[in-house]
Amino acid sequence: MNFLGRRMSWLSGALAALLLAAPALAQDRPALSVYTYSSFTGKYGPGARVKAAFEAQCGCTLHWVASDDAGSLLARLKLEGETSKADLVLGLDMNLAAEAKAAGLFQPHGQDASKLTLPVAWTDDTLLPFDWGHLAFVYDSTKLAAPPQSLKQLVDDATGPKLVLQDPRTSAPGLGFLLWMRSVYGDGADAAWTKLKPRIVTFTKGWSEAYGLFLKDEADMVLSYATSPAYHRGVEQKTQYKAAPFAEGHYLHVELAGMTRTTKQPELARRFLAFMLSDAFQSLIPEGNWMMPAKLPAGGLPASFAEVIKPEKTLLVAPETVRSQRRGLIDAWLAATTR
Amino acid sequence: MLQPATLTALAILALACGSLLGLARAGSDFATLSSLGPYLARLIVSAGLQAALSALLSLLLGIALALALLRRRFPGRELLLALLTTAAVAPTIVIAFGIVAIYGRSGLLGGLARGLGFEPPSIYGLHGIVIAHVVMNMPLVARALLHAFEREPGERLRLASALGFSAADCFRHLDWPLIRREAPALGVLVFLLCFTSFAIVLSLGGGPANATLEVAIFEAVRFEADFARAAALAGLQLTICLGLAALLTALTPRGRDEAGAERHAPRPDLGALRGLDGFVLALATILIAPPLLSVASGLGALPLLASTEFARAAATSAVIAVSAGLLACLLALLLASAARRSRRRSRLPELAAFALLGLPPFAFVAGLYVLLRGFGDPASLGLFLVPLVNALMALPYAYRLLAPALATSALRHGRLAESLGISGWNRLRLVEWPALRGAFGAAFAFATALSLGDFGVIALFGGGELTTLPYLLANRLGAYRIDEAGALALVLVVSAGGLAFLTQRWSARHA
Repeated sequence: MNFLGRRMSWLSGALAALLLAAPALAQDRPALSVYTYSSFTGKYGPGARVKAAFEAQCGCTLHWVASDDAGSLLARLKLEGETSKADLVLGLDMNLAAEAKAAGLFQPHGQDASKLTLPVAWTDDTLLPFDWGHLAFVYDSTKLAAPPQSLKQLVDDATGPKLVLQDPRTSAPGLGFLLWMRSVYGDGADAAWTKLKPRIVTFTKGWSEAYGLFLKDEADMVLSYATSPAYHRGVEQKTQYKAAPFAEGHYLHVELAGMTRTTKQPELARRFLAFMLSDAFQSLIPEGNWMMPAKLPAGGLPASFAEVIKPEKTLLVAPETVRSQRRGLIDAWLAATTR
Repeated sequence: MLQPATLTALAILALACGSLLGLARAGSDFATLSSLGPYLARLIVSAGLQAALSALLSLLLGIALALALLRRRFPGRELLLALLTTAAVAPTIVIAFGIVAIYGRSGLLGGLARGLGFEPPSIYGLHGIVIAHVVMNMPLVARALLHAFEREPGERLRLASALGFSAADCFRHLDWPLIRREAPALGVLVFLLCFTSFAIVLSLGGGPANATLEVAIFEAVRFEADFARAAALAGLQLTICLGLAALLTALTPRGRDEAGAERHAPRPDLGALRGLDGFVLALATILIAPPLLSVASGLGALPLLASTEFARAAATSAVIAVSAGLLACLLALLLASAARRSRRRSRLPELAAFALLGLPPFAFVAGLYVLLRGFGDPASLGLFLVPLVNALMALPYAYRLLAPALATSALRHGRLAESLGISGWNRLRLVEWPALRGAFGAAFAFATALSLGDFGVIALFGGGELTTLPYLLANRLGAYRIDEAGALALVLVVSAGGLAFLTQRWSARHA
């Protein structure tokens, strides 16, 4: 055998060893795929720190797979069907919970949900909350001195503040407000919408466009979360943004996680869910996701959350009811706002 | 044997229909739209009205603008041309915020009006949507027409000069026949773009009275995950768009046989109609420039962007956009090659290009996903699908710019090329490329810039490895970081503008 031949065989041997070793190295640590929405994993979201904290204790690798918003998570999972690589989904909107469960995509979480610090008791055994927030109208107190004290006042005052809302057909908070109106007004909601309509600047596609328009001063109030002012206080040191407490109570927005039926790592997935309710995860939520932690960590809330309003009454429509009535409610809303 | 053009057109139509069928199959049960009947009827009527209004205004203003640009030479003309391309391809969210920055309650004009002591009218409503659509589509019409005018044989212009044509004669004998030939297809293009518009319609519409079928499709895909309904709605939109396209392309007169090829003759009416053209140019600049230039407000936040995440997103965007741009041009050339052979012009390539405009991106991507889900993991599928889908979405624009150029070349040199036996690649290289270069540059700039600003497709596949600039923009906007989102909008608009300017230079040098 000549020199070249020996060199070649050595090279190919090394190459083969390398090729065999690479997957083996990766397989040393089991991998967990978690689908979530993009603002959770972006530069400002808690994703990177959650990953580091979990990997430090699980001996595994956590992969975030981000969709652009919560609404698309369910669609993506449903599209992938049996071929899905997702072990967990983090960020489902509660209004889609019934749809998600009906599709049979998830399996029981097996966690103790009795210690959660949600404003409502949590009994669902499939989907588990990781954070929550009350919907609220946010305003700039240097521009709006006397905000409405109740939803009724907001609706009745013909000279009241101009609002930017989200379209309930395309946005979770938009649908939340539709249910809020229905919870407060019942059958009178249509008439209330017609009354409110002249002061609605526009219904945007999603939360970001609406909040952007509000910050550009296109409206006096925006439908957002009671925790939004904490962002301005904590990051921008601006204290003029406030959420207006409404006498009738506030609608609740809950963000959920669940482990998929198709996961090949049920043990690890369950471990992640347990970690999700631990202080290590929950303490990253307030100033990472600007929402309330589902289980208040021992350290309590950061200083930026000190002024967050605490509504006495929480409004919520059961996911099953949302699922069965949504179409009808949207049709009624369409008729009332185009009248 | 099937021609390449027919083959490409059939492949595109098959992909479109296949994706919708795949989507329908992923749905749990058979969809019926009858329960949505009155709602859909109202959506179609309101979207049709809005789109007709937008298209009519864009067409009229675009024609006037093209003629003015043809007759006038002035400093800054090249910059204005680049600005036109930028407006036509800027991301819709950037245009929407640009319109608000000028006409909104606290916008430039609104603030000015309040300073003068009166309450400005609200921009939100049908008029707001139409203004935004005109800002985006008047430039599209003007750019496409300008390319068509520049292909006019110089001999005819020389003859017109010799006959002492007045500006009115020029319009009647030179311009009108060309407008008559190009305008219907451009009108359909703009109508379909506005008929399927989404983010602008909701941001500026002021209420659910203004909506499009695309809203219902988005709702079905993303909010209800009801794929059977999404597929049915998408099929409905596709049928409406195709029916309309078929009707109106049938009304488009054929190009005439041209013998002359001598170019670069000055127009006899160069410099005439000074007043009218000045007015049109001023109006167009006032309408288009301010909303685009309003992104300059992101200047201060540029330093916030410095991060490896941004660098990676910029690189990913560049790779995706350039490959999508090249692919779109390649597919457009394949479709347009039909003009080479058939004396009777086939409508099939034209229809395939228009079909892509009627295809809702959310449903299309979701459908492709279903078709391909068995073949690989989503992240690596995205790597290949995002440029492909972006290319298909940009194809109607590229086709509209390239097809007339190729048709003109076929009319002028087709017989000669055939008699010399030059065909295939050689014909493209030797005969068509010199005449095509200008249009190719424009088509590439359009398609690339369009893909650069795309968010619809990346939405489903994005995240992790596949982070693009528009994706980053949406991410920042969703995390309260409106300043950083503004800086990203600035980067996107400047890149699109720079690309338009450079390809324009390149085309001019090689004309």
